[in-house]
Amino acid sequence: MKSMLTALAVISVTAIPATAQDFGPPELIAAAKKEGRLVYYTANFAEVEQEVIKAFNKRFPEIKVEMVRAPGGQLITRVKTEAAAGKLAADVVDHSDRALMRDLVGLFQDYAPPNGKDYLPDSLISPKLWPRVTLVWSIAYNSALVKNPPKNWMDLTKPEYGNRQIGQVIAPSGGTTWTRVMFERQVLGEEYWKKQAVTNPVLYPSGAPMSDALVRGEIAIGPLLYNIVYPKKRDGAPLEIFFAPEGAPVNPYASGVPSTAKNPNAAKLFLNWCLSAEGQTFMIKELGNLTSLRQPPIYPEGFDPKVVKVWLPNFDQYVELHASWVEDWNKIYGYRQ
Amino acid sequence: MTADAAAFAAPAAKVERGARLGIVAGRLWSAALFALLGFLVLYPVAMLVLGALTNTNPVVDGFGVFDLSLANFVRVLGNPNVHLALANSLIACTGGTALAVLIGLTFSWIVVRTNTPWRGFVAAVSLIPLFVPPLVAGVAWSILGSPKSGLINTMLGWAGISWRIDLYSMAGLIVVFGMYYAPYVYMFTASALRNMDPSLEEAAEIAGVSPLRTLFTVTFPLIAPAIVSGMLLSFIVMLGIYGIPAVLGAPADIPVLTTYIFKLTNWSPPLYSTAAAVAIILMVVTGALVVLQQHVLAGRSFTTVSGKAFRPRVIELGSWRWLTFGLALVYLFTVVVLPTLALIVAAFRRFLFIPNAASLFDMRHYSLVHFDSIFDNPLTMRSIWNTMEVGLATAILGGIIAFAIGYTVHRSHAPARRAIDLVATLPVAIPGLVIGVAYLWAWVGLPGGLYGTIWILVLAFVARFMPDTMKSLSTSFLQIHRELEEAAWVCGKGRIATIRTIVLPLARPGTVAAMTLLFILAIRELGSSLFLYTSDTMVMAVLLLDYYEGGNTGKAAAFSLVQTVLLAAVIGIAGWLSRGRNAQASVGRAG
Repeated sequence: MKSMLTALAVISVTAIPATAQDFGPPELIAAAKKEGRLVYYTANFAEVEQEVIKAFNKRFPEIKVEMVRAPGGQLITRVKTEAAAGKLAADVVDHSDRALMRDLVGLFQDYAPPNGKDYLPDSLISPKLWPRVTLVWSIAYNSALVKNPPKNWMDLTKPEYGNRQIGQVIAPSGGTTWTRVMFERQVLGEEYWKKQAVTNPVLYPSGAPMSDALVRGEIAIGPLLYNIVYPKKRDGAPLEIFFAPEGAPVNPYASGVPSTAKNPNAAKLFLNWCLSAEGQTFMIKELGNLTSLRQPPIYPEGFDPKVVKVWLPNFDQYVELHASWVEDWNKIYGYRQ
Repeated sequence: MTADAAAFAAPAAKVERGARLGIVAGRLWSAALFALLGFLVLYPVAMLVLGALTNTNPVVDGFGVFDLSLANFVRVLGNPNVHLALANSLIACTGGTALAVLIGLTFSWIVVRTNTPWRGFVAAVSLIPLFVPPLVAGVAWSILGSPKSGLINTMLGWAGISWRIDLYSMAGLIVVFGMYYAPYVYMFTASALRNMDPSLEEAAEIAGVSPLRTLFTVTFPLIAPAIVSGMLLSFIVMLGIYGIPAVLGAPADIPVLTTYIFKLTNWSPPLYSTAAAVAIILMVVTGALVVLQQHVLAGRSFTTVSGKAFRPRVIELGSWRWLTFGLALVYLFTVVVLPTLALIVAAFRRFLFIPNAASLFDMRHYSLVHFDSIFDNPLTMRSIWNTMEVGLATAILGGIIAFAIGYTVHRSHAPARRAIDLVATLPVAIPGLVIGVAYLWAWVGLPGGLYGTIWILVLAFVARFMPDTMKSLSTSFLQIHRELEEAAWVCGKGRIATIRTIVLPLARPGTVAAMTLLFILAIRELGSSLFLYTSDTMVMAVLLLDYYEGGNTGKAAAFSLVQTVLLAAVIGIAGWLSRGRNAQASVGRAG
């Protein structure tokens, strides 16, 4: 039944072309076009977001999106400081760490996309903040170097992948990695970190440089966000990627429109498009995201929902466990904090 | 009072009134400079100290809710990871500085004092590493010297040599630091050697002292301030560099203070207060070095530019000149050709997986895809334009302010000039990443719309690089003998006229060099840009980090090449434009 619904959803997305009106009422679209621009703060990778902006501009060429990209911690500091000084320049704030965003919820105005009811309630931390993107963890390896590839998460503890062949993104790097770390301990077992750390993995501050190291052959294997490695594989890099059967940790972002937005209509239209079936389909198909829509319009290449179980952390635990578990992880992996 | 006495007393009173006016003007001038430095340096540093003493964001939480405590310092000082990072920083920077002095001094001597062929070319080569942002240098040398995938190792394997290079090590950090920061020593020492009166060396020659002994007992001691200044500056700059240790040190788990601070600001949630406390430790280390430098130089005269005419003495090397030329070629190959080739390979190759030499030369792997991609991004052109604007404005404004402060400190008797020197030197000790957030805290709330314009970047760069500009200028000031100014005063010129007609023309090459240095530093600066840029004021360094952090070495390399070519073009044009003026200045000095 579920696959039938998915198939129907795919057909509905691909068969019936969306019109501008699907992204908001005519008055919102007219007002957005009149504003003509928006300032977009994001913690996602700049080049990925350039693709999103380009796709949005195919639909709405009249609206210029000016992006400020910064790593998670720096972006939060900037938003807090600008807001306190009354100079928050952002019309949209888009962040991967939902716990940090929850503390700032007072800065945002009421906003919901036209298809808001289609989203999984668990993916929202506030009715004002929406999962514009939903990133999913995969396991990738350099196919030119690994002759006997791992098949699941537990394989990453095998001694044959020792000697710094595996890469790992550090636990304190941000919300998406924290989700993976929670998954490892809660789903793969209390001893998983210890077993995995014995392989002496190379630690990276974030997934992007690690994905580059994987392509170059600096490391051979590693858990990585699918949206970092998929475009490289698509373009011909010697990579193979799979979703492990024990589960695929996902991290929905939290995105909203600040109360002080100077271009609120353009901001809402941009988010409406990103959250629409068209926007989500684009991000799944071209960028390798998942979606927090109840009925995904499409799945990324290699993702079989019948085999792979999506794992979404309990948000209360996501907030409560963070400090102590990250400290444990740092100790086990010998990461200096 | 007799008529004679009255006639004598009138000018005396006039002189006394003039002296009083001079004192008042001096005080006002010092107060104005202090106010300026207060805004540019003390206020942001105070924010930093406040940040280190609390766990709050001064702008967000207001000034009234501080819970001041030394907890951050106690925690940081007791943290063995900080001790390790500090020790690694000191080892890497000491080794790097020693190598930089060896390279920089050798090349300045080759260029200025020998008859090595194509010296102009060698001089240009010696400065090229200055154009290269540290992140780019780190990436280039990681492509070359990675123990697993480095091109050098690939080629060694192809040649059947079993020895392997590993730049992911402390030795690797030292070598790359030394190569890239040698130009700082070169700039200072070449200028000093060029401006040095050769009569003392000639005296040594007449006394039968060998050329080598003359070099070490006469020449180098005479240019000691330049060597010490270049050494200190290169050490301090290395201490604040993030890109090279981030790329080469991180895979080998060699943390240094900057990478540790970057981690603190990048964790979720970010720990700025701890980062500020670590930064203050860095400030203390650097402050100690500055005091040491002043102690070493105290009470010694290093005047080498006087009213006498001379030309730098050139040593005829005979056939040895080909050895010195060979050294220059080896340096050129190592520091310029190899990393540039690595960047070219990375920029034109679709993917940087190079399992063997055959794959390296397989042209099917090469394309313009990364260049297409970066120029498809509208931010690329905007960042180039913004960077040029910011660089130029910083060079002009920073050059003027540094000249004013440098003159006040070195050539005047204005009150509190030592304190002015100290305050202007303070930013040298603060890593860009941390001072960036201090500038944001300090200036975001100012009325007048400074935030969001390129001017907030310009002011941050002027403040941040004040010590570098000052050090660069102070060598010029120290070398100009007071007799030249005194001659002008005897001829009835006032202070302003003396500066305009004597000091400025003589210090012009040094000022142009300082402004060029400032332009380069501003264009490369990443740390303090990160918090101050907005969508309209994106600069190249930030975009480069975006490309690198985006996990695409190819795009980062392509953009690095664009940046390097642009910088070289701008510097080349600046050098060509100032050539005539410098020549005039040299003639003036010789006359």
